[in-house]
Amino acid sequence: MSSCGAVVGGVSLDHVDVTTQAVIQGVVTKGGVPANVGYNRLHDRNDEFVAEVPLSAKGEFRFFAAPGQWTVVTLVPGGVVRTPVTAELGKIADLDISVD
Amino acid sequence: MSRNEVLVDSQWALAHLDDPKVVFVEVDEDADAYAINHIRGAVGLNWRVDLQDGLRRDVISKSGLEKLLSEKGISNDDTIVLYGGNNNWFAAYAYWYLKLYGHQDVRLLDGGRKKWELDGLELVSDATVRSATTYVAKEQDRSLRAFRDDVVNAIGVQNLVDVRSPDEYAGRLLAPAHLPQETSQVPGHIPTAANIPWSKAANEDGTFKSDDELKALYEGAGVDLNKDTIAYCRIGERSSHSWFVLRELLGIKNVRNYDGSWTEYGSLIGVPVALGDEPGDA
Repeated sequence: MSSCGAVVGGVSLDHVDVTTQAVIQGVVTKGGVPANVGYNRLHDRNDEFVAEVPLSAKGEFRFFAAPGQWTVVTLVPGGVVRTPVTAELGKIADLDISVD
Repeated sequence: MSRNEVLVDSQWALAHLDDPKVVFVEVDEDADAYAINHIRGAVGLNWRVDLQDGLRRDVISKSGLEKLLSEKGISNDDTIVLYGGNNNWFAAYAYWYLKLYGHQDVRLLDGGRKKWELDGLELVSDATVRSATTYVAKEQDRSLRAFRDDVVNAIGVQNLVDVRSPDEYAGRLLAPAHLPQETSQVPGHIPTAANIPWSKAANEDGTFKSDDELKALYEGAGVDLNKDTIAYCRIGERSSHSWFVLRELLGIKNVRNYDGSWTEYGSLIGVPVALGDEPGDA
């Protein structure tokens, strides 16, 4: 059983069968460099909050969603960016989010 | 219990960083977060290592908690201020835990680690050293904790509040979306449970909404606050957040946290389960 605690940057894909997952992941940059202080929130198709992870030192994040429409909401000091994304089972949706 | 007795803001925290009778405690599942940096003077608790039995699935024993808090340098008459990531999920779990064992003065830092960090307030990596104490816990207050039979008997009788996300409630997800999806439980929710995601009680920065907003949230979802209430989620930490809102902020009596939550209920043989977005019938 996994806990519900958010690992910085998101849970590793090591030992995860991605064919059974709909992964949304990516990197957040600010001023062209990785944003290492910030949080990414995942909202569902009704804009309801579902999950949140702190960004890693490299600005990385990862979610394991269900297939469908989602919005990644990026919170960094002084800024909020919303990025729509479609998740598909067995696929990894990679995002590059800039908060400049 | 009023909001001022159980919740502190960053201004209060900054003014009490050097108060010897106030102990800041960071609680994260991800122990790396505390190790990287934390509020000056804070001690850390690791949810998995410190707050789980280790052999069977249960909270640690009274003597286990006494040993833990003694080693952390926490005394019975200290004010414990909990904070952590995930909008205070695990901090709220630790709050429930400490109340379960009878600690008198426990509070949450509103907004937790996220707000502190986004506000650019100081975090340090220095190790915190506190002298060991002799902490004495009380016996578990079972009026704060629900077990599986309590939950089965509450179907259609008491308020059941499922605080997971709508997709987990409906059975479209089996875990929060920052974790790989599990297959060990059946999907769905306990019949008659209202779905009031914990997140609706919090603002985007992790702070709690006002008492009026919180009351409207639960009553608007059809929860009769005069009835007994059991909150649950997946493993009992998000429901601790909602338990905190109902019992500690709104002062509702007879609110229990079902820490077995969906990982237990969704694995039970023969209990009723509802699928989809509606509560379902008893």
